[in-house]
Amino acid sequence: MKCSDVERVLPELLDGAPDGAYQTEFENHLKSCPACSDLVSDMALISGESRQLAATDEPPARVWVRIAAELRAEGLIREPGSQPARPTLVPASTRPRWAPSAWWLAPVAAALFAAGSYVVSHKPAPQVAQQQAPAASQTPATSAPSVAPAIPEVANASPVARAAAKVAPASVPASPPLQVARKSAPPTVVGPASSADDQQFLREVSTRAPSMRATYESQLQAVNSDIRETQEYVDRNPGDADARQHLMDAYEQKALLYQIALDHIQ
Amino acid sequence: MTDPKQVITEAEAIEQAKQGHEAAFEVLYHLHKRRVYSLCLRMVSNPAQAEDLAQEAFLQLFRKIGTFRGESAFSTWLHRMTVNVVLMQLRKKGLPVVSLEETLEADDEAPRKEFGTKDVKLTGSIDRLQLQRAIDRLPPGYRTVFVLHDVEGFEHNEIAQMVGCSIGNSKSQLHKARLKLRDYLKFMRAEKAKTG
Repeated sequence: MKCSDVERVLPELLDGAPDGAYQTEFENHLKSCPACSDLVSDMALISGESRQLAATDEPPARVWVRIAAELRAEGLIREPGSQPARPTLVPASTRPRWAPSAWWLAPVAAALFAAGSYVVSHKPAPQVAQQQAPAASQTPATSAPSVAPAIPEVANASPVARAAAKVAPASVPASPPLQVARKSAPPTVVGPASSADDQQFLREVSTRAPSMRATYESQLQAVNSDIRETQEYVDRNPGDADARQHLMDAYEQKALLYQIALDHIQ
Repeated sequence: MTDPKQVITEAEAIEQAKQGHEAAFEVLYHLHKRRVYSLCLRMVSNPAQAEDLAQEAFLQLFRKIGTFRGESAFSTWLHRMTVNVVLMQLRKKGLPVVSLEETLEADDEAPRKEFGTKDVKLTGSIDRLQLQRAIDRLPPGYRTVFVLHDVEGFEHNEIAQMVGCSIGNSKSQLHKARLKLRDYLKFMRAEKAKTG
């Protein structure tokens, strides 16, 4: 065995994949070649010492502070005895007088999740925009019922998404149409609720729960940025399943944000 | 901030976190913060980025904690989630997750170029700080595979699946990474010897 052969078989031998045919020749070569013997020793030392680095660094305290703040804002941290995390559907007769102005949040949340589900369950293709675009121009009274049946993943979706989909048809009164998806969707996928919808969402929050405006605005910016960046990546790499799942998660986060807001302002 | 007294087990903390108890989230965070943050830091070599990635990994974990059924170890679940968060960030930034080299060049000679450090030996001990600095100097593709295998303990088949390469490529990347680290460490040691 020559020195060049040693380097070729080294990856297999160092990672515990002994090969009887190589092992003997390998060991014999090391006995007679100090350079290769040092190489093998050094590689094993580097590998062994590196394992000690697995949990050596302590994150700053601010990391937990930020995590806790985010968990509270998303309603995942709850005081004992407080309302359950998942929104309870309030019967129409018990809603306050001003509640109908927030009716559009539920179908938008459902549409966001539908868009995300469609992205993940189907390969991105022009027909996605074509199938979804007509729904965008329908009135909410007609589009809401069609959103739920068109969602292939709702049956397996999270409780929040299923609740959002179920809430949508029941909570839609007769009213002027609302565009729940972008009119000019990109060629590969239907996007999330438009910036006009986000602005309307923030106006509602400002009116009904002004103390939460800054928090929701910040979270909306963060999730929209995530969706935008991930969408661009997915457009460039349509075959990347992990990326599509990440995009789905981002859509789900946005739908959850809308749903939590609905819970707060009802 | 001081660590909260851990008066509950991890399993109890998980169940309480599903109910939304802040203390339970905090217990889980403190149990795993070093592992998560260290992984992020090793892979991106940037403390500020590592903070953001660790934060995102924990947030994703806590958002999905209701779905954890205990089929695998909680730490394993968190570990994989953290790796996915980091890899996604690398992909979004257009950074190579693995090197473009597929296999070892068959006609490479050994021992490799040693930057004039022929007489410097590594055997015996490695300064941990120097090792960390050497890892930081690795090209992103080599660093990813090295950190996942030698630091975090993933097997090549797991790494191949996570980063989207072949098992052979993973082994090749690891070997190249170790060779580079050896060169860096010997150079550092030689420089240190010169300056006394």
